[in-house]
Parts: sequence; structure tokens; C-alpha cells
Amino acid sequence: MKRWRLWLLIAVVIACACLPFITQNDYQVRILFRIAIFAALGLAWNLVGGFAGQLSLGHAAFFGLGAYGLAIFTARGVPMWISLLLAALVATLFAAAIGRIAFRLRGPYFTLATIAFAEVLRLTATNLEITGGAIGLDVPTLFAGRSFIRMMYFAAVILALITFLINFATSRSRPGYYLMAIREDEDTASAVGIDTASYKLRALLISAFITALGGALYASSSQHIVPDDAFAMEISVQIAIIAMLGGAGTLAGPVAGAVLLLTASEVFKNQFREGHLLIYGVLIVLVVLFLPDGIVGGLQRLLRRRNPPGSLPGSPDVQPEAGA
Amino acid sequence: MSTVLELKNVSKSFGGLRAVRAASFTMNQGEILFVIGPNGAGKTTVFNLISGFLHPDEGSILFAGHDISRLAPHQTARLGIGRTFQIVKPLSSLTVLENVMLGAFMHTPSPHRAEERADKILDFLEMSRWRNFQARGLPLAALKRLEIARAMATQPKLILLDEVVSGLTTGEALALAQLIQRLPEWGVGVVGGVEHVMQVVMKIAHRVVVLDYGAKIAEGAPAEVVKMPAVIEAYLGPKYREMAK
Repeated sequence: MKRWRLWLLIAVVIACACLPFITQNDYQVRILFRIAIFAALGLAWNLVGGFAGQLSLGHAAFFGLGAYGLAIFTARGVPMWISLLLAALVATLFAAAIGRIAFRLRGPYFTLATIAFAEVLRLTATNLEITGGAIGLDVPTLFAGRSFIRMMYFAAVILALITFLINFATSRSRPGYYLMAIREDEDTASAVGIDTASYKLRALLISAFITALGGALYASSSQHIVPDDAFAMEISVQIAIIAMLGGAGTLAGPVAGAVLLLTASEVFKNQFREGHLLIYGVLIVLVVLFLPDGIVGGLQRLLRRRNPPGSLPGSPDVQPEAGA
Repeated sequence: MSTVLELKNVSKSFGGLRAVRAASFTMNQGEILFVIGPNGAGKTTVFNLISGFLHPDEGSILFAGHDISRLAPHQTARLGIGRTFQIVKPLSSLTVLENVMLGAFMHTPSPHRAEERADKILDFLEMSRWRNFQARGLPLAALKRLEIARAMATQPKLILLDEVVSGLTTGEALALAQLIQRLPEWGVGVVGGVEHVMQVVMKIAHRVVVLDYGAKIAEGAPAEVVKMPAVIEAYLGPKYREMAK
């Protein structure tokens, strides 16, 4: 890591640690908690949707499995922290099963399949007794006492930090390059010897594990879950949009996306009530139109030189258009 | 010379279309072999069969002693078959260097080593000054070289060059041909496919296989093949009929 980046990371972490002490207002800490959780979720999604370019709109499946897993295991007497881990493992196993099926599909068909899997889980949770049907389940709080929400916030920041470091390690290593190759062109990737199915699956497993942890933390903070929240399409979409708005495939993108999107939605909710959804929508359209690589991706592109120099031996002075 | 690649009576159909019909040929170590034929003769299908993107309906393909007829593309690549694509498939948002590093990662997990290896190959292909530019937006001549560089970085025993000079000016094509001619120095055999740039084939091919409607109609040294009546009839046309006389 370049030195200034390391210092920047340390500064951000220290700032995150201090934030909840600046305000004594639980409501504001709760907003910070949401930002941190969604930064972690966006970063987890980034492994699959950013690096590997597999546009999942079904991450609510893992989010919900983590939430329900925590509730169900603790209700059966399993210690809380072990339940958390078990819930994440269940989500990972589920990811292994759906990955094998969904990764046979490419492009929009893959995306549709991920939506379908999350919907199947939502309907299942609505109709089973063990999940409490549409009424849902109570979720234990992971921390006791008055500073409970502050502790939840710290847990979320740690999860986001770990996920960021996983992203960082990935971006600098062979698996990261392999995932990017898969994103750019699967045929080319396999022509250089990459087992594309296996690498996509590995990325999904890690992503699902972290997403389930995030879902469990989120559920624990609200202390009650219903299928229409935990497995909601809205969760899947929000996770994906956060990463894409900030810049899919970049390291800082999902973090920036979470901060901007959740802050904006909070501000607009207070200012414009229901109208905030409209503004939210318009913002997303603007970014997609004018910053297709996201905010961080767009900035990186500005900083990079564009025009390649010179021509090859035997080429005419006027270069033909590429990819003809 | 030892045989590296052998196709035995390979056939492949797409629905009712018989794209390759009982084609057989061999390729020796360090050889530059060109598969030529008119548009639709089955050249690209042959390359897809060898590299595992397609599997033959009948017949078998042997590479370095293994039957590779049923292997997946990433498995044939690991055995030592590199390939380029007729319609170039660069990893657009990655840099030229990163594109080539991806090939080099087959033999080392270290980005540093992969970079060293990639730099050597870029240097050989006279691509070094493009190193840090995104592959998107490069001119076609550079993209064709990038395809070769990426395949070379996997250290293949054999490289399949599908229409490697198509779309290039004559000058660009000849400059590239000179480099392809030197690939055996790197321990790489070449199977090239060319539709109509005979100039390049005549200059660098050791041997030529001619396909027409998926069947092999001739094989031999380039200078002999272009004189064969069947080849002239099916493919080369009257200009070569004059030359043959």
C-alpha cells in the first residue's frame, strides 16, 4: 500500500471510532450504524458484482439468511456469537448451491436468477412456522446495556474494515486479476487457463459469508425481523446501487456510495417526506448517465492519461478505429 | 521432429451444417503451420475444437500425448495451447500490461514476477510504450499484438492465431509476420489461420493445410500448395493459375 493511502485509511478508521462520541443522540448513531453496515455490504457485493462483474440482485438472500439464522439458532439455545457464525455458514452453503446453478447463466439471466432465489427465500420464510411466518421473529441484541447501539456501530465498522482489507488483498493478487479478467471477457479468461466457474464461486462464497454477518448485525440492531424486510428486493437493490454509485470494482467506491446514498436519503426523508424517493431515483439516474463507472471510478478515469502514443511499424499515420 | 498436435478424422456439425468433415493433420514441434481456406471453410471451428471451446462430434485430437477432445478451454490452456481470437477480445478496462500479466499468472502467483514476464514479451512484440494504457481504444494492429502477447505469456507449446492479420494494412501485416516468424525461438509452435492474406502465408509458413467446406483438400509446402489445381479452383482463383504456369 502506498504510504499516503495507509495514513488515509488509519485516519478514516480513527474518525469512525470517534464519531459516536461526538453525538449523544442514539438516532444519529443509528444512522452511522446503517452507513457502516451498508459500506460492509457494498464491499462484500463488490467482490462478486465489482471485481467479477456478476451483477447479483439477490444478495438479500444471504442478508436474510444471516438475520434469520441468528434468530433461530439463539432461540434454540446456541450461544449468540456461535449462532452468528453458524448463520453465516448456512448462508455460505446456500451460496455454494445457488452459485453452481446461477453461474451457468450469463448477463441478465444470471441477474434474474439471483432475484428469483431471494424471492423464493422470502416466500419460504413467510410460510414456515420455524421462521414465524409473516409475523417474523425476535432477534437477540448482541450487546447489552445503554451503549448498545454504539457497540453495534463499532461491530459494523470492524466488519466494514475487514471487508475493505479483503477487497484490498484481492485487488493486488492473482485471484483479483482473475476475477477482473472474468468480468471483462469470460472467453479470454478461460483461454489463459482460468477456471472461471471456480473463481466466480469462490468470490460468491466470501461475499455471502460477509453479507450474512451484516444481515445478522442489522437484524440484531432492530431486534425483530419479518420476511418482507430481511429478504426484501429493496435490500438487494440498495446493496448493488451503493457499490455501483461509488464505483463497482474500486476499493473506496462502495464506502463512498454508502456514505452518500444513506446520508442523502436521510436528509431528503426529513426535508421532503415521501418525495425523497423521487429525488433518490433522479440522483441514481444522473450518476448512471454521467458517471457510468461510479464516483470513484469516474475520478480515477479523469486522473489517467488517455491517448496512447505513436503508432506501430507499418501502420499508416491515421489509426483505424479499434475493435472494428 | 516430434509431433505436437494431431487431428484424427475430426468432424463437427452445427445442426445440418457440417462445418468440419473428417479433417486430419499433424503439427510438429516448433513448426509454423497455416490453415487456409475461403470464408466459411471451417478454420475458426478447427481452432475452437483444438482449444476446447467446441468438442468434436467424431474423431479425436491429441496434444503432447494427451487426448484433449473433451477438455474445457482452461484445461487445454494449462496443457500449453495458447490462442488468440479472430474478433479481438481485449480485457478493455485493464492496461496492456495487466492483460499480458493475466497470461503470465498461469505460472506464478506473484504479480511482480508476472509483470517481469509480461514486460519481456511486450518488449519482444514492440508494445512496451503502450504498456500502461488501457486496452480500450488501442488501434487494431496493437490489439492483434496484445492477443498474441497474452497468449505467449502462458508459455504455450503451441499458439493458435486465428485471422491474426485480418483487418491490418499490408505494412502492418508484414511487420507482424516477421515477429510471428520468430515465435519458434520462444519454443512456441504456431498454427495460424488466414483467409486471404497469402503474402504473409507464403513468407512465413513452413507448411500449409487447405480447407474447403470443412474438408482438407491439400497439404504441403506453401510454394507447392498454391500450384495444386484443386486449391486454385476452390480458393485462390485465376491470379494464381497464371502464376502456376
